[in-house]
Amino acid sequence: MGRYIIRRLLQSIPVLLGATLLIFAIVFALPGDPIAALAGEKRADPNIVAILREQYHLNDPLLLQYWYYISGVIFRADFGVTFADVPVSQIMAGKFQVTLNLAVTALVIEALIGVGLGLWAALKRGKAIDTMILASTLLLISVPTLVSGFVLQFLLGVKLKLWTGLDVFPIAGITEGFRSYLLPGFVLAGVSIAYLTRLTRTSLAETLRADYIRTATAKGLPRRRVVGRHGLRNALIPLITFLGADLGNLMGGAVITERIFNLPGIGNQLFMSVYLREQPVVVGIVTILVLIYILANLAVDVMYAVLDPRIRYE
Amino acid sequence: MRVTKGAQIVAGTALLALAVAACGGGASDGGTAASGGAETPVRMELGEPQELLVPSNTTESEGSEVLAAVFEPLVTYDENKNAVEAAAESITSDDQKVWTIKLKPGYTWHNGEPLVAQNYVDAWNYAANQENAQSAGYFFGRIDGFADLNPGEGKSVTAKGMKGLEVVDDTTFKVTLAAPFSQFKTMLGYTAFYPLPKAAFGADGKVTQQYGEQPIGQGLFKFDKAYKKGTDQSIDMTVYDKYPGKKPSNWTKLQFKLYTDSDVAFNDLMADNLDIHDSLGPAAIAQAKSSLGERYQDQPDAGVGYIGVPLKYNAELDKVDIRKAISMAIDRKTIAETVFSGTRSPADDFINPAIAGYRQGACKACTYNPAEAKKLYESAGGPKTLEIGYNADGPHKEWIEAVANNLRANLGIDAVAKPFEKFASILDELDAKKYKGLFRMGWAIDYPSAENYLSPIFSTGAIATGSNYGGYSNKKFDELIAQGDQAPSVEEGLKFYQQADDILNEELPYIPVYFYRNNSGYSTKVKNVHINLLNQVEWTDVEKV
Repeated sequence: MGRYIIRRLLQSIPVLLGATLLIFAIVFALPGDPIAALAGEKRADPNIVAILREQYHLNDPLLLQYWYYISGVIFRADFGVTFADVPVSQIMAGKFQVTLNLAVTALVIEALIGVGLGLWAALKRGKAIDTMILASTLLLISVPTLVSGFVLQFLLGVKLKLWTGLDVFPIAGITEGFRSYLLPGFVLAGVSIAYLTRLTRTSLAETLRADYIRTATAKGLPRRRVVGRHGLRNALIPLITFLGADLGNLMGGAVITERIFNLPGIGNQLFMSVYLREQPVVVGIVTILVLIYILANLAVDVMYAVLDPRIRYE
Repeated sequence: MRVTKGAQIVAGTALLALAVAACGGGASDGGTAASGGAETPVRMELGEPQELLVPSNTTESEGSEVLAAVFEPLVTYDENKNAVEAAAESITSDDQKVWTIKLKPGYTWHNGEPLVAQNYVDAWNYAANQENAQSAGYFFGRIDGFADLNPGEGKSVTAKGMKGLEVVDDTTFKVTLAAPFSQFKTMLGYTAFYPLPKAAFGADGKVTQQYGEQPIGQGLFKFDKAYKKGTDQSIDMTVYDKYPGKKPSNWTKLQFKLYTDSDVAFNDLMADNLDIHDSLGPAAIAQAKSSLGERYQDQPDAGVGYIGVPLKYNAELDKVDIRKAISMAIDRKTIAETVFSGTRSPADDFINPAIAGYRQGACKACTYNPAEAKKLYESAGGPKTLEIGYNADGPHKEWIEAVANNLRANLGIDAVAKPFEKFASILDELDAKKYKGLFRMGWAIDYPSAENYLSPIFSTGAIATGSNYGGYSNKKFDELIAQGDQAPSVEEGLKFYQQADDILNEELPYIPVYFYRNNSGYSTKVKNVHINLLNQVEWTDVEKV
């Protein structure tokens, strides 16, 4: 098991190097001079532009710039500075925390609601409630985050407070602690909830038809134990795969939600940094996102073994 | 190997780590919110400042707004748009070339040091020195000796400071300009001209990063703690006890809340989670009018939007009549009211109504007259096709397309809107002579003087160093600007500037389309919110309800 984990981690090194080089090259190829962009629409002083370009190695060829960057990361754990001279690591530290909070909130909401609804639908298969749940998931899938975000923010954030005086869901920012993440977490989880519900329903329905369930029922086990212990545990495997991969998706896909709810996370930062062509920030964020994907996948694979003893790794 | 407890522990730990990470952030955020103290601050909307908060490196509005709260400028602007002394006791000159600036007594820095004349000289020399690469360095270009600190690319600076700056005593310093400039006093309210305390400089003579995160000023508000860019979502400050000027009557705490989206801030304003929002977007305005009532404010803002004409790059547009025809074919009123939902007003001069010197209707060819336009265009033999370039990274597509529609319908030509990635890409293509079309252009002032609408954009000198992107050049215009600069007073200078403005209105090197407006709103918890010429809130006026 340990050797398996180490091998997986070693394999991720070339993936990381490849991904960073690729992103570096893409940002490098974007049009426009990042230093000139700092001056907005006024013509930047050519003198100052020249000095700053020199200072940030912008006149060097791509591979040399990449080397400056990646050697800093590898040998000094230094992600460089932005064009405003702020350390990239400082920017990333705060923002990753926010996005991680958001993603975990979304994941928990998604798991609770998605698995719960899926379970309910699977047990009432073919009945009215099953159809209703399926129909509502369809609705959830078809409404874009942009719409649901603004609508929920307006109804639950602004109107609810104006009507009732109760400040339940903060509209923007993270100053209210845990509460700040509830509404954006739900919005971010939206589409995934729908997928997870359908996945749970199918997976459980399939499992409940299996022979060993009939055996368990036949030998007189209570229904709760049959469904919970024998059914759900086996049905969980595809769900864990989905949730694991989804953590990465949630981290990376939070751009829109973070903008709507004004959360200072990496989605917001990535958007601004691509706009300002800040290579060090973009590459730094992407590196860490890739790392999260790799680790989340590894965790999923390890969880398989926990859920199903027949699965082994060498 | 059978799956062991080990695997369970690994998986369990991973989950636990995630959960702990998630809780950690939440708890600490709650902590900072609670430590705000008993008084609720006055909360102001802000976009994230682009740079660390150093006055000479701050040329954008968000950082300037923060610094304006922390610093007292030498001059502020009164209701008649004139510069009046603030931190300065007097600013005088006999010949508009040598200026004597005396400081008012009583100002101290937030760390207790007294404010002295040397602080200004240090700050200005630092800003002007090219080795410090300060984005507002060019503001000192008029001071004698600027060239010594800016010898140019690849050359190293030999001078220590500008020879035009001289400290007379602790409260007086003299500024000698390279050439007379009657508007010099008006410039001094701008961010770049703030002083810096000794504590700002590190051992290497550069402004420290620590200072940029928690600037020490000599103004009304003092930073509560350092602002960590990228992490913090608010900038908190408290009224400085020893500030000698007028203070707000019933509050002492100010908080800038950082937003990435103006409409989100508007939602917060409606729910009373935010007190002042000074950059309402077009989407929010219709709702703001009805739901804020009197708390919605609409006032002229000093910016101008133009259609730029590439005179230097396209000889086809050389005839004045062609430009006049294009101008008359544009339905400015409809664009201002419909496309911009009233957040702009139709332009009728090159000088904005927010600034002294504006004359209503000065631009005769700015009146919509499609019939006359078509006649003029045809008799002048204007080109059959026109392109209008705009940068797609800003909110420009709609109005540029509206202009293109106007030209198509009224001039009977083929006009198309052409998107560019960024504004800089338009300029690059103009320089490379690859693009010959009209282009979108905007101007926001640096200091509230009529001169600032003319010389940086239309003087011959500005082709190389300023923002004269069209390459317009007119001897008479340059002479009038020079006469205005040498005039014995601000008012005398204005006469010459207006004559220069007449030339522009006659020749239309650019076509003015709209003036910006400032659309702001405030919550039910504050009153007396006034926004000044520099688009900054007058904090001393604001009262809590």
